[in-house]
Amino acid sequence: MKKPWSLAALTGVAALATLAFAQSREGGSEPPPSASATVQPIAFPHSTHAGQFQIDCQYCHFSAERSVDAGIPPVASCMGCHTVIQGRNQPEEVNKLRDYWARGESIPWVRVYKVSDHVRFPHMRHVAADAGNLECQECHGLVEEIEVIQEVAQPLKMGWCVDCHRQKEASIDCTVCHY
Amino acid sequence: MSDGIKRRDFLKVLGTGGAGATVFGCSTQQVERLLPYVVPDEDITPGVATWYTSVCGECPAGCGIWVRTREGRVVKVEGNPDHPVSGGALCSRGFSSVQGLYDPDRIRTPLLKEGGEFRAITWDQAEGLLAQRLEGGSNHLFLTGRVGPSMTDLLDQFLSFVGGSRVEYEALSEAPLRNATRIAFGRNFLPTYDFEQARLIYSFGADFLETWLSPVAYQRGFARMSGVDAHGSKGRMVFLAPRLSLTGQNADEWVPLRPGCEAVVALSMAHVIAREGGDAGPYRAVLQAYDPANAETASGIPAREIEELALRFLQEAPSLAVGPGVAGHHRNATAANLAVHILNAVAGNVGRTVRLRQVDEGAAARPFAELRSAMDAMAQAGVVMILGTNPAYSVPPPAGFPAALASAGFRVAFSTAMDETARLCDLVLPDRHFLESWGDSMPRPGVFALQQPAMQPVPLFDTRQAGDVLLSLAARLGGDPGAATFYDYLRSRWAGIGALAAPGTGFDSFWRDALRKGVVELTDQEEEGPVPLRSPDTALSFDPPPLDGDGEFTLVVYPSSRFGDGKHANRPWLQELPDPVSKIAWHSWVEVNPNAARRMGLGTGDLVVVRSPHGQVEVPVWVYPGIREDTVALAMGGGHEGYGRFADGNGVNPMVLLPAEVEQPSGALVKLATRVSLDPTGRRRPIATIEGSSDQHDRPIAPAASLASLTRGSGEAGAGEEQGESGHGQLKEIQAMGGFAPVATEGKPQDFPLEGSRYGQYDPAANPRWAMAIDLDKCTGCSACVIACQSENNVPWVGEEQIIMGREISWIRMERYYETVDAGHPGPVDIRFLPMICQHCGNAPCEPVCPVYAAYHTPEGLNAQVYNRCVGTRYCANNCPYKVRVFNWFSFSEVPEPMNWGYNPDVTVRSGGVMEKCSFCVQRIRETQNRARIEGQRPVRDGEVVPACQQSCPAEAIVFGNIRDPHSRVAQVSQNGRGYRVLDALINTQPAVTYLKKVTFHEVHGGEH
Repeated sequence: MKKPWSLAALTGVAALATLAFAQSREGGSEPPPSASATVQPIAFPHSTHAGQFQIDCQYCHFSAERSVDAGIPPVASCMGCHTVIQGRNQPEEVNKLRDYWARGESIPWVRVYKVSDHVRFPHMRHVAADAGNLECQECHGLVEEIEVIQEVAQPLKMGWCVDCHRQKEASIDCTVCHY
Repeated sequence: MSDGIKRRDFLKVLGTGGAGATVFGCSTQQVERLLPYVVPDEDITPGVATWYTSVCGECPAGCGIWVRTREGRVVKVEGNPDHPVSGGALCSRGFSSVQGLYDPDRIRTPLLKEGGEFRAITWDQAEGLLAQRLEGGSNHLFLTGRVGPSMTDLLDQFLSFVGGSRVEYEALSEAPLRNATRIAFGRNFLPTYDFEQARLIYSFGADFLETWLSPVAYQRGFARMSGVDAHGSKGRMVFLAPRLSLTGQNADEWVPLRPGCEAVVALSMAHVIAREGGDAGPYRAVLQAYDPANAETASGIPAREIEELALRFLQEAPSLAVGPGVAGHHRNATAANLAVHILNAVAGNVGRTVRLRQVDEGAAARPFAELRSAMDAMAQAGVVMILGTNPAYSVPPPAGFPAALASAGFRVAFSTAMDETARLCDLVLPDRHFLESWGDSMPRPGVFALQQPAMQPVPLFDTRQAGDVLLSLAARLGGDPGAATFYDYLRSRWAGIGALAAPGTGFDSFWRDALRKGVVELTDQEEEGPVPLRSPDTALSFDPPPLDGDGEFTLVVYPSSRFGDGKHANRPWLQELPDPVSKIAWHSWVEVNPNAARRMGLGTGDLVVVRSPHGQVEVPVWVYPGIREDTVALAMGGGHEGYGRFADGNGVNPMVLLPAEVEQPSGALVKLATRVSLDPTGRRRPIATIEGSSDQHDRPIAPAASLASLTRGSGEAGAGEEQGESGHGQLKEIQAMGGFAPVATEGKPQDFPLEGSRYGQYDPAANPRWAMAIDLDKCTGCSACVIACQSENNVPWVGEEQIIMGREISWIRMERYYETVDAGHPGPVDIRFLPMICQHCGNAPCEPVCPVYAAYHTPEGLNAQVYNRCVGTRYCANNCPYKVRVFNWFSFSEVPEPMNWGYNPDVTVRSGGVMEKCSFCVQRIRETQNRARIEGQRPVRDGEVVPACQQSCPAEAIVFGNIRDPHSRVAQVSQNGRGYRVLDALINTQPAVTYLKKVTFHEVHGGEH
């Protein structure tokens, strides 16, 4: 009955976790939505923001360098620009944002990237200059070219992590990620 | 997944509001700071802990705390190292306050009783109703427990406005001590004690390591005093009381006093000291009558011994006598405390180890007596309000508290959780927990501390802070209290402190600094010299008190080190924490001396009826050599009826055996009052204990060294080493024959990986080896570390039934072994405490037996357990010689909402079928390593990684660090001559944990244990 490996883990990635309601990667009772099927409450084009306008990833994902959690931008951050920028391509989507802001509501983004519950993935250890100094794109793909964010080809499985740790001569000890 | 609940729990814990809440239907009131992502909150970085300073509200000691929050939720409480009381540590009750905050039995809305049933009403209705009642009546009464100085003032101001009076009732009041101080020195407050400076302590039953006055501060002082220092010197404690409490178990000698004889013995010692030239002042004449020969008749202690004790008290200066505590509140308790004061004064300790400086003059002097007169006045009272005290549980039934309360016009309870008293009220107003409220404390002269909310109130509970309600009521009734909220009120009161503490700086900057540091110390208080004794009060009797009834045994009722007077009982962590003395969890027991038990044909687990003239309880016997043959003892705090799901029905409430009598002149409730009989029922019940044996069975688990052997310099570890040699010889033989055997080595903890071992591929130069040293000479067995570990590591509780089956899941087992305890003869007490955790063996027996490599060794020397690999064969636990691996037989992590909010998000919550054990707080190691790395790739500093147990320890007994670095503290402490590794000499496990042997004054049996 009980699956011993189906751990109710607490990841440190708490803000991301708040958005994790739509996916379950383990156990299998809810199949993970395929990336292309991900419908976000607002059709946010990463390609426009990160690509066309070359906004730095960490302008919005503000804590990636200092926290386990990359951080999902507060609605206020979005409004920092969109108070004045209506957007040419999809102005109705910007209106949705303004409605959330007006209602004082958080935007229920659908989570796309999630490691299993028994894994600790500290963003800062990978991103910070003195630590891994990785580009976000190494794991998340060429986000600046993707309109609807979706998981890049590699599934977030341990083998993929370990390959990279081996390549970069990072520790492959179990308790680096599992505790 | 068939058990989808875990997923939901996970989300509930982590959901910081809106998004998660919309899906899972939590209250949308979680918005506010729990949903920081609409507008970012400067205090919160997702994934990074935010800490707030505050003050622990669990007992009147007022320890300063740091509250760890993640994404706006409290996940742990730790001591504030800047605070002079806590010094960075806390007790088990303090650590459990997280479970008080997330108690699923907290009251959810204001409740009004109609037709005997409570129904939910709004705050507006509740305040309107109460305002109306207050306006329509007079002679209102406010019963409170101990509250902070600002709240005390607000209460008094409020009551003078609405017309009423305030009565303070704390079941664990030290009123006799306060009154004795008034009579002896003319000062009506509690003294403070300097345990650290003392070289010899006589405790007449004061349990200063567990419940008495300020246990965390006193434990730190005691451990520094009694731990052996670099010069081979060590302070000593003698415990003079009928029963060995935890404090008594830490004594070096025990004088099993007849209950109630403290005054006679103390005065007799004072007599001897006065004879030797001590200044007895106005008590010279009184002391004449207390010749040791006379005292021998009254107390049963031979005159020669009293004489010796007195001379030592004079010679081993500075000395300190304390007590008797709450368990010794008999009919002459004030006189007994006075006698102890006289002893201190005659020996010249006042002004040295006994400090008489003002602390809390505002506190009531006559607690139970005032409650009694308040009860008489209740019939005339318009409204009776109750805050922070539970007399319906803690007052003996003959007092008739429920009937008196029923006679009042209207009854109101301000309470976080429903308790026995709130149930009797008409209106119940859900109060904020102290971690959600503003307040202040003044634990010592010149020390002021602020209590600030560490999180938004838990949104499942529609609560208001009592102070806010009073201010709102005053406004409704047309008054002008000068502040709209208690926060404003507190700030206005602190303006004066700000002017004194930081003259010249603005108040706002002072306030911010006070909040950041958590404490303000005014240092201009002058040290006080000796205070002369005042003329004796002739009305006091120093005689042993009369006792009710003619039962065979004197009943000692003592405050529980886990539940206090019972207010911490609805916390599963504390229910499951084995009592530090008896090692029993969840239920009550009656302590009976082995000789008495043998005579009555009773053994541990036999159910008996304890009968006094006032009531009876049925409870199992626990045979305990640390209690006099003519005495039995029961702990307070059990037997709740209507306090919550974890407290109700567990154990018995000993207060039902007591008369409702007032001690004069202090007004305290008499607790040592009656004799009882034990009537066997012929039935038994299983005991929920974690103890395998109280005897080491000649194995060197917790060996000791005598002080003399240390000063002789003889390597007291000698015997162990020899055993080691022979063990290794056998291993080598097996290996020579080609058999599998662990690598035989003479390795030290820093030698990892061992040469020739299968860990050979790890590079010792590139990795630290994490190791720990625990000084058993300092450890008092208080078990604060056990609860700190549970809080830090999401260790579940399993319940009484599972404990009885031996399935406890604590990562720390506080072992306790008797070596020398004999109630029949005064003499050495040698009780060994040993916090047993995973030893992180360099040669771990658990690792080779795991079929799935879930148990393995990391390059940093940790014995790791990979939960996602574990398939639950339990081979590792079977092969662990230390019994530190514990198994999740069920998914114990499924706890009632909102207890899951207290989970530490940095540690995996284990589900059913998984083995777990101490990880050396690997999450803290990783957090520190990550921080060091991103801070310019600096190395991890020594002492930077602090596991939860080390952080919690009031005795400062635990050191952790990288033992490979010869300059690290752990490497240096581990080299101490007292160092040994448990069972290593026998089975060559090469643990990373080095224990330092306890040091005894007597020669230890067999040179080692």
